[in-house]
This record gives sequence, structure tokens and C-alpha cells, in this order.
Amino acid sequence: MWGSAAVTPPPAPAAATPLRVCADPDYMPYSNRAGEGFENKIAQVIGRDLGRPVVYVWKSTRGEDGFTEVVHQYVNRGRCDLLVDVPYSVPDLDTTDPYYISSYVFIYKRGVGLDGITSLDSPKLQHVKIGYEADTPVEIGLKLRTLIIGAKPFMTADEEDASPAAIVDAVQSGAINVGLTWDPAVGYFIGQHPDLTAVVIPNARSQGSPEQYTFPMSMAARDGNTSLVTQLNRVLVQDRSKIDAILTSYHITYFKPNGNG
Amino acid sequence: MNTRLLAVALAPLLAFGLLVGYLVHGSSVGAQQQVSLNEMSQNPNQWVMPAGDFANLRHSDLNQITTDNAKNMHVAWMMSTGATRGHEGQPLVVGDTMYFESAYPNHVYAIALSDYHIKWEFTPTQDSFATSVACCDLVNRGVGYGNGMIIADALDGMVYALDSETGKVDWKYKEANPELGQTLTSAPLVIPEKNRVIVGVSGGEYGVRGYVTGLDLHNGKEVWRAYSEGPDSDILIGSDFHGPKNQGTATWQGEQWKVGGGTTWGWYSYDPKLDLFYYGTGNPGTWNPSQRPGQNKWSMTIFARHPDSGQAVWAFQMTPHDEWDYDGINEMILADIKVHDQQVPALVHFDRNGFAFELNRETGKLLLANKFDPSVNWAYDYNVEAGKPNMNPEYATRAGHNTKGICPASIGSKDQQPASFDPQTGYFIVPTNHWCEDYQPFAVKYKAGFPFVGAIVKMYRGPGNYGGALIAWDPNSGKIVWSDHEHFPCWSGVVTTNGGVAFYGTMDGWFKAVNTKDGSLLFKQKMPSGMIGAPIAYSYNGKEYVAILSGVGGWAGIGLAAGLTNPTAGLGAVGAASDLGKYTTLGGDLVVFTID
Repeated sequence: MWGSAAVTPPPAPAAATPLRVCADPDYMPYSNRAGEGFENKIAQVIGRDLGRPVVYVWKSTRGEDGFTEVVHQYVNRGRCDLLVDVPYSVPDLDTTDPYYISSYVFIYKRGVGLDGITSLDSPKLQHVKIGYEADTPVEIGLKLRTLIIGAKPFMTADEEDASPAAIVDAVQSGAINVGLTWDPAVGYFIGQHPDLTAVVIPNARSQGSPEQYTFPMSMAARDGNTSLVTQLNRVLVQDRSKIDAILTSYHITYFKPNGNG
Repeated sequence: MNTRLLAVALAPLLAFGLLVGYLVHGSSVGAQQQVSLNEMSQNPNQWVMPAGDFANLRHSDLNQITTDNAKNMHVAWMMSTGATRGHEGQPLVVGDTMYFESAYPNHVYAIALSDYHIKWEFTPTQDSFATSVACCDLVNRGVGYGNGMIIADALDGMVYALDSETGKVDWKYKEANPELGQTLTSAPLVIPEKNRVIVGVSGGEYGVRGYVTGLDLHNGKEVWRAYSEGPDSDILIGSDFHGPKNQGTATWQGEQWKVGGGTTWGWYSYDPKLDLFYYGTGNPGTWNPSQRPGQNKWSMTIFARHPDSGQAVWAFQMTPHDEWDYDGINEMILADIKVHDQQVPALVHFDRNGFAFELNRETGKLLLANKFDPSVNWAYDYNVEAGKPNMNPEYATRAGHNTKGICPASIGSKDQQPASFDPQTGYFIVPTNHWCEDYQPFAVKYKAGFPFVGAIVKMYRGPGNYGGALIAWDPNSGKIVWSDHEHFPCWSGVVTTNGGVAFYGTMDGWFKAVNTKDGSLLFKQKMPSGMIGAPIAYSYNGKEYVAILSGVGGWAGIGLAAGLTNPTAGLGAVGAASDLGKYTTLGGDLVVFTID
């Protein structure tokens, strides 16, 4: 299957306009061609409620400028309608209200003297082997504390055949003691290792610099496509419990936007 | 609107409840219960509100300790608070009892002044998750009092009303949710005359919308909640609001106001005559200014609201479209003074952004806005007519660019440490910071599955290589009269007295008494720890005492407080205060001075 392909039979009238979702063809737990990622599952729910059959436009967002290319060459050129999982208010797109908030996390083995690492300022981090997802806020946090020296970068998002599982496997094998990465990228894999734990990295101001590790996540449409964003915002509220069930089944630790708007 | 109707419907019941409250508690605290809290605050023997009075003057009419005899001051009594993190509050003295609250885990004590025994102690059971989301140390700014109850905020977002005689919980209310990045560190504003407790939230760093909540003092039920951003109906902007409407949405791109920030963790003041309370809102939701085009109202704003309904009467935004994290939460001091030789009911506010704002507190009209630290450079000056800063583009921040030499640093020319107004000299005695910074925000990025935003800030001492100063401010001319330099930011509050003395503490652990007229040092005492709390004055059995909580921490002292011993000196607050450990260490103590 190359190019566009419908994944499930549309429940909507045959005349309904397809909802074209840009997704990575091979990037679990986000998405894959078999429709196994959480973005796939959420897209199905949204498509059903909008009454539009989901059609995927497969395009990797990985590699240098991969995401930028998707934004400018795909979404904003009208080649696809929707990105399922992007940070709220990311530039050059119209984002929906955030539908979940998650965090960067520490991954480590329970009961081997690492319990109690709850922030980047935990003294225990001075004496362990650290791995981190490169070019993310945790890299800055490690630099601010000179913990970057000797720490091992992982390049999950840079190479199309890489997997966020690599950092989890490295913790499991003992190649590193503590891994720092984005919870939604790894919850799915940590679920298979009962002796591993994922602990939220709190936002910090302790080094003076504002360090943000918690991000509200949204869906996104073409810049200016306010009618789709409005519809999506409505559907996201309607489908709250279905989306919760999907996030939970992928072991994503998240909290709901407080909905005080 | 429903809550308003409800309030009207319940008003007679509430009045009855208040009466019952007086009867129940009246016997225990004696005749003081029969007078209003405002009247009680006029009695200089006591200190019944966090700031001493509703106006936040932090001034005492006591005059036993004078400029002549202050050199003979000595410690009268001391007590450990049992907590080690930053103590940013102050005790209360009501009748013959002192009340105070420690830093997290928020022990609350009632101490008999007759023999210093502990009448009761209360420690809330807390959700420890709150400790991981608190931005700048696990501080607390003290308790409030009203109708025989001590109102105490806990870090995890709970507000407790404790019977002032027994410490028993009369009611509790959840104001903040740590799971959403919110905590509670500020002192509540208690207005028994209006049957209100007013509480705000801390933790603007997670992009949630800030708000302030009005509770029924009698039972802890929420009466109203006023947001800092959003539709006017959420902000509780009433029909008599002086100013443009719909700014809480119109000054934001799209619906970014929903994560607009503007938390409310500072000190609150109240004018009983105008029936308005005043407070400031914090920085807009995300640190990265490129992410939120617009003026971002009403973040960084002084609000005047009615305590009954929460309705806003006026609002003034000090830093439009904040690029430096200059939270506007510092205290609003209500003093009737001359500004440009005109007598006015003034609100005076020394903002993080380095400008002293003097407004007519009835109308919200800006009268004067001058720098209270000459090093302030993000704006050339402030256009009083237009109510806007004249920005210096050289010190603007933008994604991907390292802006160097911004003064003040994000900790501001002054943070929450409250100033005092001394009616005798007519000066405001203001504890200030003197740090500058380099600031480099990053653009929001998304590298396939991994969100990224942030900024790198490097803070250092400002010109002249000092970290802070105690200054005297003449509000009429809008000028500094005198300035005592300190090595570290001057992060403790100040109390002035009719003895002509101003008292404060330093982060490196010196309690000081200075002459209010000229700042000359009269007395100093090395303390158990550095001070970031505010001193108070009271008298007992005819003798004047000055009390302060010692226990360093807070934002500027976070390095010491959190045990950060990293050698990356030069980065952020830890770097600029990296030698604090040479002078002091952690630990909470109450220390009380007197004179023979």
C-alpha cells in the first residue's frame, strides 16, 4: 500500500469528504500503516464523529526538518487536513484546544537505589549513567546542570528506522541507569517491562532559566482552517472518554486540560 | 451570575451566621471580637493581618524602640519552626496569642505570649506531588485571621480554617490543583466585615489560567471566581468597569487566553471605604513571547474588585506582552499621599519590571511611573498619559536570539518581598533586587513526537556589583531618597515604626534596624539563617517586640534550599547567588527582639 489508503470502511454516507490525516507510516507508538498507533486510533474516533472516512497520507515527520516539511509541503499545501498530535500553538498551523497534557519523564528501574529521582536537581543524578532524547528540553536541562557530560544521546526522531523503544531497552539492559524522554513516546514500551517506572520531570525554575517539560498537546489543521478547528474542538469534547481510553491503553501518563475555558 | 443571586438571597442568613460566629468565638478571644478586624488592626499592640492592616502599610505606631536606643536591642525569645525551606511569611499577634505558619510542610502554630507554650499545632496532610511542581522553593507567606479563625493555605492547594483557640479544622476548601501545576503559597486576605476569604493561585508556569476566588468566611464555600483572562463574564468585568471591554480575549491570538497564565500569588490589600480589594496578576501563560502575540491582558495587571461579588471596577496592565517574566504580583500599598503635590487616595506598587506605579486607587488613573532602580533598561521610561512603557528594542527578547544585559533580571527589581510606608517621613521603605540577565528563548519546536520550548537565562549582579538594596522612596517626587546596598537581593519584607526605625533581614543572615530618615544602620544581629520573611511589631505587657521568621530559600535562594551544589556557577539564580552558602544555611526559626 503506497500513498493514500482508506483503513476502515467509512460509517458515514459515501458522499462524505474524506478526512485526510498526515501520519508517519512506521513510527510506533504514534502511527503505522497497520493503524496500530495511538494517533491512528484517535483519528478513527474523530473521523467517525465528523462523519468523514479517514484516509492517510503517509509521510514521515522524522529526519532533519521532517516536521517542517510536513507543515509546509503537506498540511499548508492542502495535501492533508489533519495532524493528530502536535504541541498546542505550534507555529504555522491552527491548533485545537489541547486534549491532553503530558510530560517528559525519567525512566529507571525500581528498587535499585534510583527511587526518589523526582527532578533534574535530584542529587542521585550526579552519579548515574544518563541517556536522553537529543534536541529536546531535557537536553537543555542536562546542559544547565553539566549533567550532559558523559550522557548518551538518543536520536529517535532523526532516523526513520529508529524507535523510541531504544532508550527503554537501554535502561532495561543497564547500558544506562536513567533515561529522559517524552512519556507518550515510551509509555507503550515501558508497559512491557514491569520493573521500570516513568516519573514525571517537573517544570523548573531552579537554575534561573524557565524549563518546561510538560506540554499541552493538540490536533492541528492548515493555518486559517478555523472551521475544521471549530468542529474538532466540539468533537474532542464529545469524544473525551474514548480518547481517554486510547491514551490509557497506550500507557500514556497525562492529565486533562482543566477545561476552565 | 447565579452566585450573585445566591449571595443576595443568602445575605440575611450570612449576617445571622456572622452573629453566631461572634457569639461562639466571642468568649474565647474576649472583647476584641466585638470590633471589626479593621478596627483591631488600628491597635498597635497587635498584628492581626499579614501586612498589619488592610492598606498593607506594614507600619506600627509603636515607639519604644527608637533611633537612639535600637543599638540595645536583644533577642527576647526564639522558636524553631520545624521546617527547613523558605519562610516568606510573618507571624500574627491576636490578643495574647501569636500565630505563624512554616514553609512546607506548612506547620501552623499558636503560641501563648504569656509563657511561650504551644497552645496548638496543625500540620495538614498534603499531596506531596505539590513539592515537585512548586516553581521557586516550597515557601509560605503566612496565615490570616478573622472571626475567631486562622486561615492557612497549604502548598498542595488546600485552604484551612482553624479554630483560633483549638486549632480544630472548621472548614477546608481546595483552591489549587497540583496536578494542573498549581500550588498555594500566598497569604489569604480575610475580610470578616464582608464575610470573605480571598485566595489566589501560584504556578503560572504550566499555562493554566490564573484566577482569584472569593470564599464565604463562615463556611468556606466558593462565592465567586474571577479569571485573569477570557471573556469578560469569566473575568467578572462589571457594567461599571472603567476601561475597554473584551480585552481578555481580544488581546490574544485565537484562544490562547485559555492557557493565559496570570496567576495571583502576591499580597492583597483592601480599602473598606471604597470597598475595593487590590492585587496583581502574574506573567502570561508561556514563557516564550513569540508564542503568544498580543498584549495578553489581563496578565501583569493591577486589579481593583469588590469583595462581595468579585466584580472588577478597574484594571491596569503594567507590562504589555511580557517578554521577561516580570510577574505583576507585588503588593499594592494604599496610602493617602501627595503625588506631584496633589493629595490623592493613592495605590503605590513597586513592580518586578523596575517601575514604581502610583495610581488613584478609586479610578485606576496612573499618576506617576518612575524607575526605582536606575539600572532598569527594558524601557526608556513610562508614558504616564498613555499608560504604556516606552520600550527599548535593544532589550526585547525573541526566539532564537540571546538578548544580553537586560535589567532587571526575571526576579525583578523587586519580587514579592513587601515594602512599608512610613507616615512620619512620608517615605516608602522598599527592599529591592539588583540583578541583570541574558535571556535566550527558543522557538516552539516539534521534532517528530517531541515537543520543545524553553529559554536559557543567565543572571548576575547588576552595575556596581551589588545584589540588592533597601531604598527609601519619596512618592511625591518619584525619586530615591537613600539606598543601602546589599550583597544579595534584599528579599525580606520591611516594617517601619513610630520610633523612626525600619527593620528588615538579609539573605546572608543579618537582621538590621536602620534609621528611616537616612538609612543609617542602628543595630544588626546575625541570625540562624538568611531571611526572606517580613518582620512585624507588637507589644505584650507594655513592651515592644519585633518578630521575624528566619529561614532562607525562595527563588533567589533556591540553590541553597534545594541543595544545588552544581559547579555551573553563572547560570540563573543559582549562579548569581552561588556564594550564599558561605554565609548562611537552611532552617526555619522565629526570632523575637525587644529592648530593656
